[in-house]
Amino acid sequence: MRPQAGNSAVYAGILLVFSMVPALAVAQQGTVLTGTVMSELGKPVANAHIAARSAESGQTVETTSGADGAYRLPALMPGNYTVTVSADSFANKESTITLTGAGKPTLNVTLAKGGGEQALPNAPAAAAPAQEPSLQDLGFSQQQMQGNPQLQARLDKRTEMLKIHQRLGLITVLPMAADLITGPMAKAKGKNGQTITEPSQTNLDLHAALGSTTAALYFTTAYFAVFAPKVPGVQKKGAIRMHEALAFIHGPGMILTPILGAAAFKQEQAGEKVHGIASYHGTVAYITTIAYGASIIAVSWPIHLKFWEK
Amino acid sequence: MKQFFYCSALLLFALTPIAARADSQWALDQSSLTYHMSHPMHEVDGTSHSARGKGVCHAGQCEFLIAVPVKTFDSGDSNRDLHMIEAVRGAQFPLIVVHARFPEAETQEQWIHANLEVQFAGQIAHYANVPFERTQRGSEVRITGAIPLTCSDFKIERPSFLTVPIKNEIPLRVDMTWNQQ
Repeated sequence: MRPQAGNSAVYAGILLVFSMVPALAVAQQGTVLTGTVMSELGKPVANAHIAARSAESGQTVETTSGADGAYRLPALMPGNYTVTVSADSFANKESTITLTGAGKPTLNVTLAKGGGEQALPNAPAAAAPAQEPSLQDLGFSQQQMQGNPQLQARLDKRTEMLKIHQRLGLITVLPMAADLITGPMAKAKGKNGQTITEPSQTNLDLHAALGSTTAALYFTTAYFAVFAPKVPGVQKKGAIRMHEALAFIHGPGMILTPILGAAAFKQEQAGEKVHGIASYHGTVAYITTIAYGASIIAVSWPIHLKFWEK
Repeated sequence: MKQFFYCSALLLFALTPIAARADSQWALDQSSLTYHMSHPMHEVDGTSHSARGKGVCHAGQCEFLIAVPVKTFDSGDSNRDLHMIEAVRGAQFPLIVVHARFPEAETQEQWIHANLEVQFAGQIAHYANVPFERTQRGSEVRITGAIPLTCSDFKIERPSFLTVPIKNEIPLRVDMTWNQQ
């Protein structure tokens, strides 16, 4: 029994050692930190010195960047590191990074011009070494130079919604024009009450259906403009102002036209001559359509009419 | 021998200011940068007067840096300008940065041929031997020309109107006045 127990212990020991080998190998190999060192002009910085100092052990691992600005720091144990990047004619850059031992961590560094040898305070200005100007030299603030992804996302959404607004707006022209054409066909009586066209129920239904389609498309189109994200601090100017001003005509017109149309339809169905405010259905519809067309032209202005000559 | 030493020392001292002046520095005083966008039904120009620039000439080579915020280009229509900023990812990459290099000898010529590196819309494009006309007006130097930018150089998705996209070419006209410092 004893030898068996001894064998078991040996086997268990061997198994334990073998099971630990991969973990030990990973620990020995460590994590590889890669990245690139670029100038603020987007050019790779070659021969930059990169030093990663472990916050836990205090040990430093160093390397230099290649011609393409790429660097590789192998065998880093998991933990917190301070990475210092320095290069001639550039200001030093310090970054902190936490390595978990998982994945392929990268740290890309952008160096700003500066650093290097300092000119003596009493040295003549002309004797100072001539340096390539940097963005800091131009006096741009950090805010002016830094991107704003939130604003970009807002602009992207705004453009996306306005594209839909534009497409739907153009599509709306079709049922709107068709509605204007079928309008007179749906009219039952002339100005003096005489019948000029005998409207069929089909004519009336077609006109009403086109009107409903126009209204549905119109208000969907309006939705994409009204609820497109606004960009703060932008003062509106140019053709967009006329485009928006005309909406104050075709907007109420698009509400009023179907209401007046329904009233006219009701009067006609009752065998009455269209009268009262309902008799303005056609006039309001024409004004609305003209304002709508003008708003499309306004936002497209100036139009190069003889485009085929280009 | 002593005389030779004194003469050499005198010559050296006399030449020192010239050697010191060999580096010239320039600052952008006024500028007008105008992009041109072309569509079968539209011709649009957007102008910015907000460029900043500095230049250094050293050892026979001039290095100039010009930067302009994308949002300062004005086409006369705020809606179109916002669309332009969106299309060129101007909120994410707020500056157009132009890096120009040319021989110092050309600072005295009528034409400067510069190699340009343009950072725009998160991309970098290079343009070789771009001609600019140089006009001297007293201490000021006026530089005019055009940088042949294209949408494809900067991976800009061309905006379209009535489903027709704008032309790929968006040349940037340049009119700058520089002062030597």
